[in-house]
Amino acid sequence: MKRLLPKEVETLWTLFTAPTVWAFHFIVCYVVVAIYCEKALVWSIDFNAIRIGLGIFTLMALAMILLSAYLAWRQWGFGSGDPPHSQATDQDRRLFQGFATLLLSGLSFVAVVYVAIPLIFIAGCQI
Amino acid sequence: MSGGRLYGGASLHDGMSRIGGAYLSRSAQRGAVLRAALLFGCIPLSSCSGVQSALDPAGPEAANVATLFYVMLVGGSLIWIGVVGVLAYASRLGREPHSERMAGWVILLCGAVGPAVILGALLSYAVWLMPNLRPWTSSGEPGLRQIEVTGEQFWWRARYLDPSGAPLFEAANEIVMPVGERVLFTLKSPDVIHSFWIPSLGGKMDAIPGRINAVTLEASKAGLYRGACAEFCGPSHALMAFTVKAVEPAAFEEWLDERAAVDRPSDAEGLAVFLRHGCGACHTIAGTQANGEIGPNLTAVGARETIAAGTLPNTTEAIARFIRNPEEIKPGVHMPAFDMLPDGDVEMIAAYLKGLK
Amino acid sequence: MTKALGNFSAEERAAQEERLRKVWKTPGGWRYWTSVNNSEIGLWYGVAAFGFMLFAGVLALLMRLQLAVPDNDLFSVEFFNQAFTLHGTVMMFLFAVPIFEAIAIYLLPSLLGARELPFPRLSAFGFWSFLLGGIFVCGSIFFNSAPNAGWFMYPPLATKEEYSGIGADIWLLGLSFIEVASIAAAVEIIVGIMKCRAPGMRINMMPMFAWYLLIVAGMILFAFPPLIAGDLLFEMERMFHWPFFDSERGGDPLLWQHLFWIFGHPEVYIIFLPAIALMAMIVPTFAQRPIVGYSWIVLAAVGTGFLSFGLWVHHMFATGLPQISLAFFSAASEAVVIPTGVQIFVFIATMLAGRVIFSVPMLFGAGGLVIFVIGGLTGVMVALAPFDWQAHDTYFVVAHLHYVLIGGMLFPVVAGIYYYFPFVTGWRLSDAWGKVAFWLMFTGFNIAFFPMHFSGLRGMPRRVFTYPEDIGWDWFNLISTIGAFIFASGVLTVVADMFRPKVKLDTLNPWKAGTLEWTNNPDENWGMRSVPIITSRYPLWDQPNLQRDIEEARYYLPDAKSGRRETLVTSVLDAEPIQCLRVGGTSYVTIVAAMSLGGVFIALTFHWWLITAICGVITLGAILYWLWTGTAEIPEAPEMDVGMGESLPIYVSGPPSVGWWAMFITMVGDGTAFASLVFGYFFYWTIHGDFTNGIEGPGVLWPVIAINLFVLSWLLMLRARHLNRAGRLDEARVALVGATFIALGGSAAGLAGPYVHGMDPTAHVYPAIVWIIAIWTVVHAAAGCIMQLYCLARSLAGRMTARYDQDIINVTLYWHFLTVTAVVAFGIIGLFPVVR
Repeated sequence: MKRLLPKEVETLWTLFTAPTVWAFHFIVCYVVVAIYCEKALVWSIDFNAIRIGLGIFTLMALAMILLSAYLAWRQWGFGSGDPPHSQATDQDRRLFQGFATLLLSGLSFVAVVYVAIPLIFIAGCQI
Repeated sequence: MSGGRLYGGASLHDGMSRIGGAYLSRSAQRGAVLRAALLFGCIPLSSCSGVQSALDPAGPEAANVATLFYVMLVGGSLIWIGVVGVLAYASRLGREPHSERMAGWVILLCGAVGPAVILGALLSYAVWLMPNLRPWTSSGEPGLRQIEVTGEQFWWRARYLDPSGAPLFEAANEIVMPVGERVLFTLKSPDVIHSFWIPSLGGKMDAIPGRINAVTLEASKAGLYRGACAEFCGPSHALMAFTVKAVEPAAFEEWLDERAAVDRPSDAEGLAVFLRHGCGACHTIAGTQANGEIGPNLTAVGARETIAAGTLPNTTEAIARFIRNPEEIKPGVHMPAFDMLPDGDVEMIAAYLKGLK
Repeated sequence: MTKALGNFSAEERAAQEERLRKVWKTPGGWRYWTSVNNSEIGLWYGVAAFGFMLFAGVLALLMRLQLAVPDNDLFSVEFFNQAFTLHGTVMMFLFAVPIFEAIAIYLLPSLLGARELPFPRLSAFGFWSFLLGGIFVCGSIFFNSAPNAGWFMYPPLATKEEYSGIGADIWLLGLSFIEVASIAAAVEIIVGIMKCRAPGMRINMMPMFAWYLLIVAGMILFAFPPLIAGDLLFEMERMFHWPFFDSERGGDPLLWQHLFWIFGHPEVYIIFLPAIALMAMIVPTFAQRPIVGYSWIVLAAVGTGFLSFGLWVHHMFATGLPQISLAFFSAASEAVVIPTGVQIFVFIATMLAGRVIFSVPMLFGAGGLVIFVIGGLTGVMVALAPFDWQAHDTYFVVAHLHYVLIGGMLFPVVAGIYYYFPFVTGWRLSDAWGKVAFWLMFTGFNIAFFPMHFSGLRGMPRRVFTYPEDIGWDWFNLISTIGAFIFASGVLTVVADMFRPKVKLDTLNPWKAGTLEWTNNPDENWGMRSVPIITSRYPLWDQPNLQRDIEEARYYLPDAKSGRRETLVTSVLDAEPIQCLRVGGTSYVTIVAAMSLGGVFIALTFHWWLITAICGVITLGAILYWLWTGTAEIPEAPEMDVGMGESLPIYVSGPPSVGWWAMFITMVGDGTAFASLVFGYFFYWTIHGDFTNGIEGPGVLWPVIAINLFVLSWLLMLRARHLNRAGRLDEARVALVGATFIALGGSAAGLAGPYVHGMDPTAHVYPAIVWIIAIWTVVHAAAGCIMQLYCLARSLAGRMTARYDQDIINVTLYWHFLTVTAVVAFGIIGLFPVVR
């Protein structure tokens, strides 16, 4: 497993992975539905197909976030040390990054689940 | 046709005095004082809070939303008391500090996990509610009542349609609808964005140039309600209200027939003055040569509760005042002033219009 | 990091201080206004923004007077509409955002341990732009020509000339100008926080304020450009009748609402997060312990930053979009509550784990929190579409947004004023006055705004200049008006306290705070006497003798031997020193550039084309002069001694340099604006059955030629950079000229498509959007060509060499973005109509 996953990346960008997945998931849901509802008559696809498709896409997004969370957890030393990670060392800086990334993954996970809730309850394009 | 026959006395008189604005009845004044006295008790939330109140629901959508609000109000108050309580405790002088570990748990549980669970549940309920409040309604449904409403600066055009969508007749600034039936309102605008809102029945929907919107509303009890424009639309945005009369279905049918009939008794002299001064270029009165499409349809204008889109009481004097100088009453109105008409003509027109029922 | 601390005698230090004082001196007399030092610019910025706030507050009081009783005719409807439009506009654009740019510019250098932010002249330019634009917009109300269509400026009310006059143009152009200033500030803040921290201040050591400001500046970069793109479309419609929002010619008013709220909702968090950042500085000081949950704050800031971009449609719940679309935005709107809740509980947890001294700043902070929580809870309510259908555009929303903004922003700002007043002036505000002010503001606010929840639910719409008697609103409104005046008296008390004479403090750190800014002496202009090595989040608490060592010049940059303003540049993650950066000093050029750019916008408002052109040329000249004399200067020696036995390079190019970052960040913002135009293109495609309306497009041939030429030009640009670095300067110059000509050819080909097919942009929205995308690209290409010619001139003048090549590297970076823009632009307008 560890071989397949990249080593800790020395950059600030990893912090943004999970929220970026959320943003991408959100935009795809919004755009697909917006286009479908305006163009439905032309394409004649059943709305349920859209819902199922977006449902699968949601699962993929959640999997991505879990992966990001796992990497963050690893960078955080699998929770071996408690915050605040305020020492002036490379080690603490990495632990801090890992912990913050893990928290952001949690938030992004919840946010993706929230955005998927409408797919369960709303079955059409009505206004 | 008198209103009393249709709506039952109490609600009508109550409603009239409120809608009439400047013309207060004595009992309403007493009511105002009473309400004021109780203002900072719990009264702000009580029912009977007005003809335009979302907290005094008269339809299923408004009722559901009011319930949702009360639930959130209670929950929100508890949360607020909790947060402020903890804040007050934490600010207390001379208290022993808690451990950092315990404080960390406070963040995790109160800041993150708690809100995530509560909000998830609330969101699910609200999203589930949406299609139930506003189910799929298409204009093809058999028996569906349909009214096409056009928001214009600064009044409402209401075109009553038959179930197939064909127009029956046109009215203005007043919506009559049957109790207990869903009514499909089709919303349009030729000029700027307006928003069609009857708080007692349900939420609002915008009327947007180039788009056709729709909203279905249902009144569950007969009565007189007040609607308004909710999207800023220019100078007289504040003066763009309308009356909603919810009546029993049988009375509604009767009213439809009556209103659709073209030949109605009329004051021929007043009509002549009306036509001579060119009023018919903008206004329509069914059964006469007046067939203008620009301004509000004046057929049966005398039967309306108010004139000038909920701004003035429907009296001959008020009508005359409006004809003389509409700008004074409604800034930005598109109707020109007619204060140059010969003496007496304005009064004749006003009396004629007031007589149209 | 064990470095040798410097050791200077008292005489040596006095000589150093003399030199430092001379270098950082603020000019006297009227030249004072040419200063670019962060402590002057930050102060002017803050005072101006505060002044605009008072102005908008007076407008609010006048509105409350009008609404105090039903059927009131105190003010005309025209004045009322101008007043509420300006109130919202000024509070949002001229107070809430700028006040934080001001605080950031003032505070960040001291907080991060830098002498100065990397682009002081850019800050000055931003300030003057802001001031001029602000006066232009506010002044219009004295000529009865202020914008009157609401701060959201919805078309068609605001686009069509029969409904709104010159006020709409003043709004659009005046604010576009201010948005430029905001983006300038965002560039400054991001680069400053990433690159100018004191050595050792790793990202896990950064003060909370810096974390928040970094996120906020990033948000500005993605939030403001859609509005700028919207403004462009809007003004093209008003000036030249291009029908972007005119439904009769295929446009759609809703596109503006999308673009406006993609800006407008993140804007709320752009305002709110810095206020929370101030709280995050204040709370630990008075809880007398480090913040609990540092990582949680980072989660909250980053999480809010992202989620806030998924909320915009909740301002459009009543526009008739499909319910499922609304529900997505409800979901994101609820999700954003979680990081906000975390923020609040981080403060509470910090207080729980500490011993709280309840001072005036804490009073304002806690009072703000009490108010803000109500605003947050009503926010949870209105985020649910069914409830919003009732509450939308009513006084309930007025109450909600004021609870959020006054509780979440104004109260923390006042807390910040009380907290940082000694830092800025060396004086302390009065506790007694502060308590009076607090209770007036707190009670006044609640009396004013709490009843609005009820008037709203009882059906009172927003933006009404009058209302009838006895439909249940009159008493609520009267009470609100009384409360508003009590609130205003509280604000006045704060102002009076600031101007009251006071006694100078004998300490630099009256609150015994732990963060670095409190080592600064407000009487000296140099910021840090020497730039320390940081090993703690609260260095003043944890690093013994820090104050003394800084003042005894034992750290970096103890001297100013070169006679230039210098600051340290460090690496992003671990803050290792990498460069000694020379920053710009006092100059007129910033004022000239800002005033002439302002002239462009103001002249456009009145359609004075000739003056517009003249001001445009002056602006271009001023900017080129500024760049030529003030940037990428070749130093007298490659390295210099920065103290502590270390030498650092003076000139750095490419990704480690601040200039490269500034270009990168600017182009990200620029790319966002371009993406908004592309969004518009596909928006029209979505809403129309046939979005071309049968009109012939630009064809495939010309756009494809344009793409090829732009790619070719880009390749030559890369080649030029390579040749320059290899020292083959003549060949590099030839390549530059070639790239310029080919890009001009590409531009011509890009415009040829719509031109030869006779597309008339006033006829329908399809030709209009094609033209605007093509023109956008070509204008950028023209700017790129000017940059190439600038590089050529630098090269010929010997100011750009193989070793000192910052200019050509940054211009190449611009060309990366330009090439992507061109390929996307011409690909879409040329190929999409074919493949769709």
